[in-house]
Amino acid sequence: MNLRINFASGVPIYQQLMEQIKHAVDTGAIRGGEQLPTIRKIAEELAMNPNTVARAYRELEREGIIEVRHGSGAYVGMPSTSSAKVAGIRKAAEVLRPAMERGLAIGLSEPELRRVFEDELSRLRDDAAAERRGN
Amino acid sequence: MLWYKAWLETRWRFVFILGSILLVWVAPLWLPSTGVSAAVAASRMGRALQLESALLYIFAAIYLAGAGINTQTVYAATTGFHGSMLFTLSMPVSRRRLLLVRAGLGAILTGLLVAIVAGYTLLHQPGSASARAIVEYIARAIICTMAVYSLSVLMACVLDEMWQFMGGCCVWVAFFMLQSRFAVLSSLSPLRGMSLICYPLGGPMPWMTVLASLAFAGAFLCASALVLQRKEY
Amino acid sequence: MNDMIIAADGLSKSYDGKPALRSLHLEVPRGSICGFLGRNGAGKTTTLKLLLGMLRRDAGAIRMFGEPIDSEASSIAARRRLGFVSEDKELYPFMTIDQTIRFTRAFFPGWRRDLEEKYLDLFQLPRKKAVPKLSKGMRTQLMLLLAMARGAELLLMDEPTSGLDPAMTEDVLQILADLAASDGTTIFFSSHQLAEVEQICDRVCIIDQGQSVIDGVLDDLKSDYRRILLVFDGEPPRELAELDGVDHLRQRGRTASLLAHGDVDALVDRARELKPSSVEVRPVTLKELFLDHVRGE
Repeated sequence: MNLRINFASGVPIYQQLMEQIKHAVDTGAIRGGEQLPTIRKIAEELAMNPNTVARAYRELEREGIIEVRHGSGAYVGMPSTSSAKVAGIRKAAEVLRPAMERGLAIGLSEPELRRVFEDELSRLRDDAAAERRGN
Repeated sequence: MLWYKAWLETRWRFVFILGSILLVWVAPLWLPSTGVSAAVAASRMGRALQLESALLYIFAAIYLAGAGINTQTVYAATTGFHGSMLFTLSMPVSRRRLLLVRAGLGAILTGLLVAIVAGYTLLHQPGSASARAIVEYIARAIICTMAVYSLSVLMACVLDEMWQFMGGCCVWVAFFMLQSRFAVLSSLSPLRGMSLICYPLGGPMPWMTVLASLAFAGAFLCASALVLQRKEY
Repeated sequence: MNDMIIAADGLSKSYDGKPALRSLHLEVPRGSICGFLGRNGAGKTTTLKLLLGMLRRDAGAIRMFGEPIDSEASSIAARRRLGFVSEDKELYPFMTIDQTIRFTRAFFPGWRRDLEEKYLDLFQLPRKKAVPKLSKGMRTQLMLLLAMARGAELLLMDEPTSGLDPAMTEDVLQILADLAASDGTTIFFSSHQLAEVEQICDRVCIIDQGQSVIDGVLDDLKSDYRRILLVFDGEPPRELAELDGVDHLRQRGRTASLLAHGDVDALVDRARELKPSSVEVRPVTLKELFLDHVRGE
């Protein structure tokens, strides 16, 4: 598993780690039933905080992607438990990709594109909130 | 390990003083002969040594009290003022113990030097002296020097390493001048107690002076402990 | 719950009438790695010295390992269980590396010989070399070795990587991460290197002018804080500053930059009511969090 964390980012590290592990599962770098590296190993290799690694593992377990077996370590859950989510992610990526390509084609830079995305996401959230208030 | 550290800190000072003293003793042998008779020369040597030995005791006491009690060396261009004292204080050891070990080793070394110098001085005294007189002399030399040493330790706790030596010398020079004016000081003075000129060999033992010196030594040590206990680093 | 290995409350200290710490509140849970950030003179070194008993506090209470520190005896008991690295890395100039190690070792029955060998080897420190001949970097490495090899439960360090090159810094961070992971060692250190704090710390405490301005889990701070950028057609309205949850507001021309925390969604809603022409919400880095809280604009 090739883990790369951007420590300077505003995105919480445990979330980044979770994403990286999920990505590894998606791409097949680590398969269902296989054992994940120990918390200690990841902390030492990346020179990062073991509590943060532990938190990522806890959240992944809560989402059903991995399971922690006492005494032996953390293992990737079998495909059936996360396939729905994995499929959902793949579908969303498929849908968004052409839109992104379009954005880049008309001359938007990456940061601008990201801003548009954030803006639209906010608007969606606002609309949903407004709808709830209206009801 | 504190004794070992204290020894490592002080050993060069001890060697330096020992070397200086040996130099002082050997120097007259190199001076050109002035055609004076041997007896006169020996007598002069004897008197000179009497004066010098008290000075040597004092010098030793002040110098050996210096290193390592308070400031310790500060590396150039650091913002820290307290030097390696911070490292010492981060150890699980009480400040009182730090003082006692460091002052204790210095006292032992000072006592040793006094004994050596006293012994040498006795060898050059005209005439012979009884064993009791010898013991009395060495004992009072050591005890009186301890009073000087103790005050120097206190100065080391209060002052910077650099100023401790000068401060010590100033105090005792001032005391020396004051004791000739005030009879009270004169009778209790450690400086006179350790000298063979003021209290000749074989003469009556200056008990008041010795007791006073002992008391002073104890008092200054307690004061040092108090100062160190309250000091902020 | 998490027991606090360090708990200071209402800690105050003045030098010559000038306050260095004003009622500081600090909590470090056992097993965490906590970064202590602040400008020069903000009170970081003073705090560490108070924890170690080198200074006496004017007011407040300190508990370490759950025990109150209010006498020399209690301070000594705490020092048996911790390791310290000072800001200027001063050691005894009359000793060699080996003598320094032997001296320190004598105070700690839990000394780890295996770690001593491992770090000596990693840092390439020659045993017989005299301390005055060491570069600042090597002195730092030796001090780190002395602190980390004693089997301490807590490491208190003042700028532990100053003087170290990036490769050695990474090695040190790896060692610290490993100590935390394997032995549950708690690490509390002050630093000016935000990058390394972001990498290794799960908690961060920012001190400014003697008071604690931020204290919490770093990842949670990143979740709770957001930067909101608003562009208006004219001058940004004054009401912006009064909105709930705005920690810090900076205006430049028609743009307003808010550092917000708490219910950011609600805040964005209210900001939208002021009719900005553009709204952008961004995550916040530790650097921004730090600068906004200590630059006092």
